[in-house]
Amino acid sequence: MAKKITVDQVDRIKEMVHDLATTYARSLAHLQYADVRIEVTEGKAAAAENGASKFSGEDYGFGFGIRVLAGERTLAPGYFGRSLGAADLEQLEKILKEGLHSAYRRAMANGEWKATAREKFGSLGDSLTDTRLQLIHVRQEVVPAEYEIDPRTMDLGKMVRYTTDVSRQVAGVHGQLKYNFISTMTQLARELFASSEGALIDQAFALTQGMCYVVAESGGTSQELYDVLGHQRGWEVLERGVDEPLVHFPPFVQFSLNLTNEAVELAGAPALPSSDREVVVVTDPHYNTLVSHEIIGHPVELDRVLKMETAYAGRSWLLRSLDKHQVGKQVASPLVTAYSDPSLPGYGHYTYDHEGTPAKRVVHIERGIFRGFMNSRQTAAIFGGDPNGHWKATDASLVPLIRMSTTVFDKGDRAPEDIIGEVDHGYYLVGHRIPSIAESRENFRISARKVYEIEHGRLGRLYRDGGIMADTKDYLMKVDAVGTDFRIYPIPNCGKGQPMQTKKLGNGGPTMRSRARLTGPVVGAMD
Amino acid sequence: MPTTSELAKAAGQALEFLKAQPEIQEAEVFAAANGSLLTRINYTSHIPCNGVEEPKSTESYGIGIQAVFATPEGRKIGFGSEPSDLTLEGARRALDKARQGAVHDPEFHSLPRPTGEPRTLGDYHDPKLLRVPDEALVEAGWKVVSGTLRTFVASSRLAELAGSEAAVKTLGLILGGDVTILQERVAVVSTHMPTVQTDESTLVMSFLTAMVESEDAKGSGWSTGTRLDHFTDEAGVDAAVNAIRAIGGQRVRSGDYTVIFGRQPVADLLNNLVLPACTASSFYTSSTPFLGKLGRPVASPMFSIYDHGAMPGLMGSKGITCEGLPTGRTDLIKNGRLVGCLSNWYETQRLLRDRKLTEKLGVDADAARGALAPRNGFRFGAGGGRQFDCQPGVSASNVVVEGAESVSLDELIGRVRNGLYVGRIWYTYPINGLRAGDFTCTVVADSFIIRDGRLAEPIKANTIRINDSVTRVLTHIVGITKDVKGTLVWAADEVVYAPEIAVTGVHVDEIAGFMEDLT
Repeated sequence: MAKKITVDQVDRIKEMVHDLATTYARSLAHLQYADVRIEVTEGKAAAAENGASKFSGEDYGFGFGIRVLAGERTLAPGYFGRSLGAADLEQLEKILKEGLHSAYRRAMANGEWKATAREKFGSLGDSLTDTRLQLIHVRQEVVPAEYEIDPRTMDLGKMVRYTTDVSRQVAGVHGQLKYNFISTMTQLARELFASSEGALIDQAFALTQGMCYVVAESGGTSQELYDVLGHQRGWEVLERGVDEPLVHFPPFVQFSLNLTNEAVELAGAPALPSSDREVVVVTDPHYNTLVSHEIIGHPVELDRVLKMETAYAGRSWLLRSLDKHQVGKQVASPLVTAYSDPSLPGYGHYTYDHEGTPAKRVVHIERGIFRGFMNSRQTAAIFGGDPNGHWKATDASLVPLIRMSTTVFDKGDRAPEDIIGEVDHGYYLVGHRIPSIAESRENFRISARKVYEIEHGRLGRLYRDGGIMADTKDYLMKVDAVGTDFRIYPIPNCGKGQPMQTKKLGNGGPTMRSRARLTGPVVGAMD
Repeated sequence: MPTTSELAKAAGQALEFLKAQPEIQEAEVFAAANGSLLTRINYTSHIPCNGVEEPKSTESYGIGIQAVFATPEGRKIGFGSEPSDLTLEGARRALDKARQGAVHDPEFHSLPRPTGEPRTLGDYHDPKLLRVPDEALVEAGWKVVSGTLRTFVASSRLAELAGSEAAVKTLGLILGGDVTILQERVAVVSTHMPTVQTDESTLVMSFLTAMVESEDAKGSGWSTGTRLDHFTDEAGVDAAVNAIRAIGGQRVRSGDYTVIFGRQPVADLLNNLVLPACTASSFYTSSTPFLGKLGRPVASPMFSIYDHGAMPGLMGSKGITCEGLPTGRTDLIKNGRLVGCLSNWYETQRLLRDRKLTEKLGVDADAARGALAPRNGFRFGAGGGRQFDCQPGVSASNVVVEGAESVSLDELIGRVRNGLYVGRIWYTYPINGLRAGDFTCTVVADSFIIRDGRLAEPIKANTIRINDSVTRVLTHIVGITKDVKGTLVWAADEVVYAPEIAVTGVHVDEIAGFMEDLT
């Protein structure tokens, strides 16, 4: 009978994987580098709809991914990934070796084709060069997870009752609520990384999340809202909420009821009229969470910057070529500082990325001046600079990409109420909703959950279905106030890669003030 | 990877095992093996690169069980799965998980039962695509890269722009995208459909973007096929040709224009707005802009779309759904009227019994039944494939767009006379929620100004944003072209067989003026 898969399995295979990535991999004739990633997850989930239970489950995840750099005439990469099950445990070493050989064959064939193309296409072949990785300090370390209630000990029946009860309470809020979907999950993951350079890193992560989706309707107008509460902790974050200096949530039931009341209130509110010209806009920390994600985080991913995502996630307006870019130039108001920091708490927290690089803070904008990018070892070798640990995959069987850790606007020195109080006429955007960003992140339109008119320093009328649209650099240059109320929120579904990888990460910021055009619904479209 | 007959044997054995469990009232076994082989392309003439950046693959196989249990608390339904094990031990583990997670769902009626429709599609895959060696995967990637580089090298326009052939690389030539091969094998059996059904499908596709970056000129190329022998460098050549064609792009002022949406924008608008609005679940949740409009006009009378999962030769075809039901044609919008929904067994059953059905669909259950045929219950996930470890959702397969009184593209451009041809859009989202219908996107490639009935200058990439509403766009269609082509959208499950569609009054905003002054 096959053994049960648990995160403890990592302890039993660690030495074998280390040996495979070092002694065995190095025995392949033209192999320059190899790494092996293995992930084991134990998780539980429950879902309810309109007060009725819909699903629950407890399961494990188990998979691996291998990268090889090899070649006779030029060095090139090859990869292999697979999901695994309990029945694979007895022959795991054999399966990993087969995966290594497959990745090696792909790298060798790739190197040969690259060398041929380099010869065949004249000057256009010049850029087809050996694949290099920037040097890092090779580490061996164990990083434990942090939680009070161990996800493995959570009673699934209790999760079902809790989730269904939240859904039932939400359903009872108001007759205008047409639909609700509530889901919860808690899991413990353990990631093992071993490389031919001798790295051996064993990191564990707890993660617990509650999601609330509601549809409210009033007089033919509807509001669909959704939001998540989550942290790299145990079930305690749903029952008790989170009260940390940078991360704050009420208990999940209250979180869901708040969102529901908001949807009902908004369904009865007028639509925000669009404006032809820029107006003063004050944006709250939740709204700026998505702004920092879209116009700071994404355009500073160095794979995108180096055009590697041209067909998918897009490029970045911050770099045209290796000698024409915005590093060292002013791209924002002197009041704006922004950075990515994997040491911050929340969804974006980790110690090492998925190529064993110690993760560290990277400043993107310092008092308005652009400073640098999130990178990987390969992209750092091309652009220069030290690797800062942002190469991450959502699953061990998938190839990592450069991803945000926790990317934020830094806090300022203004009281949020003063930032609003100084506005004679403007708009206050509360809570992010849905984004649409231009290909190189040079322009954005992001809708807000709520928009209030500001008149003579006070919040006035509430509007639904509103947001703002602006050119990125113009918007950042016009920031004239930054608040002290810095907060971090989870982003549960950032999509990037081919095949698509949907990643959890962190973003945040304080209250800020700038200028942008208001965007509302298309008038008369429903007629 | 296990063969289809091994999956079938495992599914049959598992059902026999489940039938012997006294507390199980109904059960369904779904066994699957999926491979996704992908070479991601990244060529940059001005930045060191690999050409073929990621020759890679992921694979998985296993068994999923959905079972209905008689318990002291009443009837419960649960789902469990086990990877990499097709033995009875694997089935036992999957069943244990299904039993442990089973819940009482008051809207659950039954597991899928035969609908009376016959299966019409079988034996349609290419066996060669189920056995692709590592070297052939890499070769497929380099085939399209070579097609692009050959086109760039041969371009006198690029040499002229750069000043010499040797200097062409300084123009910032880019190629990105991928060649993807999907391999799917499934077997499904249940208490209501006790004969094991199997299906095998394969697909090879390429979607590429090329740029002459110094000129902000971008072009797309794509190809889809079900046979490895038919795979060529077509997508790579097309992308390069279209990028060169886009040199000399102009800005467009804000305003309302008659726009001809090219095939990629039509596929994108369908994928992100129209198809989600046509799923049974969006009616159930009251989140569709077509709420209460079954049988009523939602688009121009010249506009029709249908989903057809059983059409031979189309890329998204499959013999059966992941519920064991036959695939087939589902008309969604016919001559401008909403006539059907994409659905699976569960959604159809619960919507037909929903006491707010008339409010949600606009008709009663008798009238709705035909519009809710469960032909689209698929277990897509993990970047392609029919996955054993998830329950069936609702997904489109092949979506075909048809126009009444359709014309050639030249004729359509001539009719529009002055406007815009938009060939590729980006980041298309229902910005105020699906029900509101408002959407926004930017125009990123393959686009031109239409002047005096002809395509004139290219539109400069990333300089306009479309802000409009899908309900308005659908009702302001004024022309549709005859020819359709299988078109892919990043991360989409379906293939859209899209024509080009002209729409009046599309609102466009000029954006990113600061980029002109960026040093």
